[in-house]
Amino acid sequence: MLNIFKKTAIAGAMILSAGAALAEYPEKPIEVIVGYSAGGGTDVMARTAAPFIEKYLGDGASLVVKNMPGASGQIGVTEAANAEPDGYTLGTFNLPGMMARTIDREAGYDRDSFTYLANVVNDPNVIVTSKASGLDTLDKLLEEAKANPLAITVGMSSLGGDDHFALIKLEEATGTEFTIVPFKGSAPARTALLGGHVAMGILNISEVAEFQDQLNVLGVATKERSPFAPDLPTFKEQGLDLVNGSMRGFIAPAGLPEDVQAKLIDAFSQLSGDQEFLDAMAATANPVEVVTGEEFKQLTSDLYDLANGVWQTSPWN
Amino acid sequence: MYSDLLHALPDVFAWTNFAAVVIGVIAGIVVGAMPGLSATMAISVLVPFTFGLEPLVALGLMAGIYNGAMYGGAIPAVLLRIPGTPAAVATTFDGYPMAQKGEGGFALQVAVVSSSIGGIASAFALMLLAPPLSKVTLLFGPSEVFWVAVFGLASIIFLLGGNPVKGLISACFGVFVSVIGSDPIYGNDRFTFGQLEMLDGINIVILLVGLYALPPVIDLLETPLKTDGVNSSKLGTQSLWKALPRMKSYWKTWLRGSLLGIWIGILPGAGGSMAAFMSYNEARRTSKHPETWGEGEPEGVAAAEVANNADTASALIPALTLGIPGTAVAAVMLGGLLVHGLQPGPMLFRDNPDVVFGFMWQFLFGAILLVLLGGSLATNSFARLLNLPRPLLGSVIIVLMLIGVYSIHGRMFDVYLMLGFGAIGWVMDRLKFPLPPVVLGLILGGFAEENLRLALRIGRGDPMVLFQNWTSLILVALTVAVVVGPTLKKRFIDSRKKA
Repeated sequence: MLNIFKKTAIAGAMILSAGAALAEYPEKPIEVIVGYSAGGGTDVMARTAAPFIEKYLGDGASLVVKNMPGASGQIGVTEAANAEPDGYTLGTFNLPGMMARTIDREAGYDRDSFTYLANVVNDPNVIVTSKASGLDTLDKLLEEAKANPLAITVGMSSLGGDDHFALIKLEEATGTEFTIVPFKGSAPARTALLGGHVAMGILNISEVAEFQDQLNVLGVATKERSPFAPDLPTFKEQGLDLVNGSMRGFIAPAGLPEDVQAKLIDAFSQLSGDQEFLDAMAATANPVEVVTGEEFKQLTSDLYDLANGVWQTSPWN
Repeated sequence: MYSDLLHALPDVFAWTNFAAVVIGVIAGIVVGAMPGLSATMAISVLVPFTFGLEPLVALGLMAGIYNGAMYGGAIPAVLLRIPGTPAAVATTFDGYPMAQKGEGGFALQVAVVSSSIGGIASAFALMLLAPPLSKVTLLFGPSEVFWVAVFGLASIIFLLGGNPVKGLISACFGVFVSVIGSDPIYGNDRFTFGQLEMLDGINIVILLVGLYALPPVIDLLETPLKTDGVNSSKLGTQSLWKALPRMKSYWKTWLRGSLLGIWIGILPGAGGSMAAFMSYNEARRTSKHPETWGEGEPEGVAAAEVANNADTASALIPALTLGIPGTAVAAVMLGGLLVHGLQPGPMLFRDNPDVVFGFMWQFLFGAILLVLLGGSLATNSFARLLNLPRPLLGSVIIVLMLIGVYSIHGRMFDVYLMLGFGAIGWVMDRLKFPLPPVVLGLILGGFAEENLRLALRIGRGDPMVLFQNWTSLILVALTVAVVVGPTLKKRFIDSRKKA
């Protein structure tokens, strides 16, 4: 709370000192670059959040979503990183994917290329097993994994994504080994689970919420039960320290004027208290967890270190 | 299972959705009637423009175009002996002699009625077969999907035609293109030359627009068409109601052609032109007076046209249930579905029943509309289409191609890519390399690679994982039959000839 007061005070001081021209930000439409095609999870988040950000920026602010799909969001985020840092180009940001790409290939940006505005969605990982596998509790799964290393096949959406990091955390925490089967996206992975072609899957809570009667959901990788599906137990409750998820948020190019940055962060931080926004996100299967500014930057940095650590010991390509 | 089908019906009659089908059918007939412009081309040029539309409007347009184009190809086939689409080649055999005899009007009426019947049969097949099949598709894991793809690749054999070597080179080119981009398991770059735009591989629509639209457009601009004014001026048209009784005796041909077309449509790999040839040959073989065939036998037109429309909707059965498109058109339509967030597979029927079943209804109505729109207009106005100035037409299509491809991702890179594929397509066309194997190689090659690698990971490197259940074994047997069957049959016929 104190933090918000401090930021507001700083923002106020900035606006006063910067004079009339800057005080009017935004004085033209703000472009939000989405690195995925229209209709995808990240796009839906951007389009759902846009009217609320407009509301909190006030003064007839307008956000225009621009899709630049391709290369797992790389094209869009590179464009956002290299845009003029004037507050009129923002971009969407996905974790851990955007950081993992700076490790496994040559990327046109790094973690210092951005002004971190806010993470908005945290879609926690879940471990599911197919009905055919008979592994309907976490204990049974871990017992089998210890008895027969590599015998359990794990469907997931890709290597070097949040699912993959969740599995590595699981393996390290429990001393187990699994066989990874990386599908092209989570939908085919889920279909293979439904058909019993893989025994286990690591997906995100939004992707399995509607499939609880067709799959065994063994646990959710959050600290506390997710308000998105409160009936599903966390791993913590079952004595396993496993917290991981797919995060989506907003960034701007590095070097944003401080008053603009403060105004934007202020607008984003108000999202978490807006019931209308929370309802809209719940309706589109997006579990909300707003983390702004420095904390978001720290979160990104931690995830980079995790991904880099994994890459050093077991590179995924 | 079928209650969703009825539930989807009211939406189809929303006026925008219905208008889309009507416009689609008319546009399809126009495009089909232009020699060289195929349904594949029309739909792939159109897909990018449907991004902003409601799903059923976009899909209705595509369903209409597909149905319309398959008939439209008959118009120049009958009047000029130039098949408007590759699938209309068999229509020229008897259609053109009929036109020379002054019976062109009747030939077109037979064509439109037969096309419509084929389309209706195909739409029913899609409605009845796809929902139960979508339940079975959970049986198809990576190893089964791998075999489906291999089966499809094997059935390219049907497309090879007179020159198998050229056909195989075409198919290999397609498989090579499928390799471009990041590899499906590890994400390593392959043949991307450091271009971020290439990481996702080659978008099928970009390839299709280049390959299928640019060469015919160049042809349009290059060669003036010699129109045979005689045939289009004396069509000998009578009212459709008077013509219908003369067609009564074709019911066997219609039934046989429909079933053949539906079956060939379901097979990944083959398509409309093969269905039309097979139907034509079967009908002639069983005819009481085979000597009249090729001299202007209306039943020949009926056989060809019923079959080339009967594969339209059925080609979507593997596309919607397994996500494996069997023909180029089905591949483009699948692209259209994906754009609207509709992921093919069993989930499609669960998550978006109204859209997917609505799409099936649109196929049915498209086929019925064909008689109403094609029947009343074909003999009057569509015959005149052939007199449109060709350079004008060519330029309009080029503009549409450029805008459409640019709008897929909003980048010029794709436009250059499309023009590059167009140049390749033009050279291949001139050297008489067939184009359909390229498309199938691209689609099925990618499926085969990805699923083979996934299956081997599941089996932890043991190839026996590919033969572990009945579904796989049946698919293996079918593949062997497709590869070996034609050779054995030929040997058998040869040995009988010698004896």
